[in-house]
Order: sequence, then structure tokens, then C-alpha cells
Amino acid sequence: MENTQHLKKRLKSVANINKITKAMELVAATKMRRSQEIALASRPYALTALDLLANLTLIEKSTKFPMPELLQQRKIKRVLFVLISSDKGLAGSFNSAVFKKFEQHMERDKEKYRQEEKFFVAVGEKAFQYLSKKGIAVLRKFVQAGDYTTAEQVKPLTDFIVKGYLKTSAPGGASWDRVVIFSTHFRSALKQEPHVRKALPIQFDHLLETIKEITPSTGKFADIIKEQNITFGGEIKDIKEYLIEPSPEAVLEDLAKHLLFMQMYHLILEANASEHSARRMAMKTASDNASDLSETLNLQYNKSRQSAITKEIIEITAGSEALS
Amino acid sequence: MKLSIYSLKKVLFQGQAQMLNCQTVMGEITILDNHETFIGVLKPGVAKVVDSAQKEHFFEITSGFLEVREGNEVRCIVEV
Repeated sequence: MENTQHLKKRLKSVANINKITKAMELVAATKMRRSQEIALASRPYALTALDLLANLTLIEKSTKFPMPELLQQRKIKRVLFVLISSDKGLAGSFNSAVFKKFEQHMERDKEKYRQEEKFFVAVGEKAFQYLSKKGIAVLRKFVQAGDYTTAEQVKPLTDFIVKGYLKTSAPGGASWDRVVIFSTHFRSALKQEPHVRKALPIQFDHLLETIKEITPSTGKFADIIKEQNITFGGEIKDIKEYLIEPSPEAVLEDLAKHLLFMQMYHLILEANASEHSARRMAMKTASDNASDLSETLNLQYNKSRQSAITKEIIEITAGSEALS
Repeated sequence: MKLSIYSLKKVLFQGQAQMLNCQTVMGEITILDNHETFIGVLKPGVAKVVDSAQKEHFFEITSGFLEVREGNEVRCIVEV
């Protein structure tokens, strides 16, 4: 049997851990709800923007002006990989799931990527640590996103990606023809999945998918889903005469940048929500474990105390018997 | 006309309006009922909306898009 004093000490520290993890769980739960709300608030915006893009591409078809570069497919020689993770740990398998997906993806397409030059960008401290540990050079890192990302924080990342894609950064600087993003998809408060997405060149179905995924499949916000019909490449004849200022090309180019920005914003928001819910789950398990442990320790402590008392009584009675 | 103004963070305006006035890259534009279909790029400025109850609303805008659709419907997506 373990020392009573020692047991008491352990019991105390386990109780403390229990309190801390419980508090973290509650905080994470509130943050998760908040980040979901933020993501949902931008849904009408996202759908309208996409609708506008659909309209513009229809007009483009009928007038045959060239598509902006962001929407064009081109030969892929260089690829940019973006890993989206959290800044802080204690979030269960949240970060490692993304990294595992990344490793699987690289392994599967090893042959395909052999010919191509690769660049890496880390979003979140953990992704940076992971890539550095693997000996991969990180082109740039974006950290300190906080609990909920804001449009101002996503802007530098999007600008950086667009610049590299359009090769407008400093001569000799890095550039790429494709952007692949690894992030976490928030399916529900209990389930998050790592996802791989191609952000550039912009593809309509990918965008639509991202926007549809803003609403989680189950849970509090699931019933808000109101499907809107957006179709791309429909009949040209149902497009009416639009007056477009300054010109269709300029609008489309601007809009394409906007849509990319919006997509990045959403991916990071979604990762935020996933991070908080992963942390909530991890903390819940931790506090459950702590209460289990404290129960067993308590029993052990009582037993050890009881046996110490019994031992003392035996000694006393033995002593008094010896005297009489 | 039916007017909706969306920003990334929230819905700024949604409902019936009589007039929308804003700055586009080509100059100031005022949209009234039954405007022809139009797509434009917004530039920094203040957008003014007069709703059906004659009440005025003002929104500060840094950039965005304006679309006048068929069926007397206007949609704006803006950055604030």
C-alpha cells in the first residue's frame, strides 16, 4: 500500500487537473459556438458572390472575352502547399490529423509531384513546427490568428498567394501554378475531418462545395440550410443584357480575387471552429479521466488511512495486554 | 425594389427600398425602382439607402460589387 501522505498529494493534483480541464472545456465550447456563428454570418455574402460569378461566366461565354488568369487552367510546374493548423496545442488530434492527411497525400502523389517544384506555407504555429521538424523549408508562415480569424488577418495570406500565382511578386521570387490547401472540415461538434482542397486555379464546383460546407451537417446550425440553386455553364439564351462597368474582364478579375479571399477566410474560420471543438472534446476526455482517477485514488487513500489506524490500534492493544 | 446588402460579417440591409446611392469606379450611381440589369464595382465611399418607410440608412464601404438583377432585385456584396 502506498504512503498515505503521498496519496493525498496525488489526490490534490488530480483534483486540480480536473478543475482546469473542465474550465478549458467550457471555454472551448463557447468559442466553438461563436466561431460557427461567424462562419454562418458570411454565408449570404458567399452565395451572392458565387451567383454573381456564375452570371459573369455566362456572359463571358456569349461574348468570348478572355478569362482572367485566376480562373484559367494552365500547365503545372510548381505547386504551393498550404497547411492550416492551430497556434496552440491541447486540441487532441486536431493538428496531427491534418499532418497525417498531408503525408498521405504526398505519398500517394509522389510520382506526380516528382517533376514539380514544391513550396510550403504554414498557417498556425503548429504547422510551422511540423514542417521545420521534417526538414522542409517553409516559404512563409502566418501565425497569431487568434481564436477567430478576421478578414484583415486573411488578407496578407491571400495577397501572398495571388501574387505568387500571377507572378507579380519581386523578380526571381517564388511563383506557382497550383495551390493545394490542407485544412480541417467542420462536420459537427463531434466530428472533424482533414480535407485537401485545390484553391487555385479557381474551380466553380470546389468553391460551391466550400460554401455549402459552411453549414455543418448536424447540430445547432444544421437546420438553417436553405439551398440555393446556382448553376454554372447553363444556357446562354437565358442570360439577359447586362450593363457592366467598367468592363466584364475587370469585374471578373476583381471578383475572382474576392472569391479566393472569401474561400481562404472560410477555410480558416472552419479550422478555427474545428480547433475549438477538438479542444473541447480533448478536454472533456481529460476531465473525465481525471475524475475517474481521483475516484480510485480516493478509495486507495481511504484504505491506506484505515489500515494505518488499524495498525495503531493493534499496537496499542498489544501494548496494554503485555502490561497486564 | 428588393435590396440586400451583405458584408462578410453580417447582413447590413435586407428588405424593400426606394433608392440606393453609392460610388462605383465609374462614378456615383443612384438606383431606383426597375433599374436595368447592371453589374458594377464599388469604390470607397458611403452608400445611402432610403427604405420603403422613407427612412435613410448609411453604410461605409471600402470595396465591393453591385448587381441589379431582373425582377427589381438589387444585391450588394461589400467590404466594410
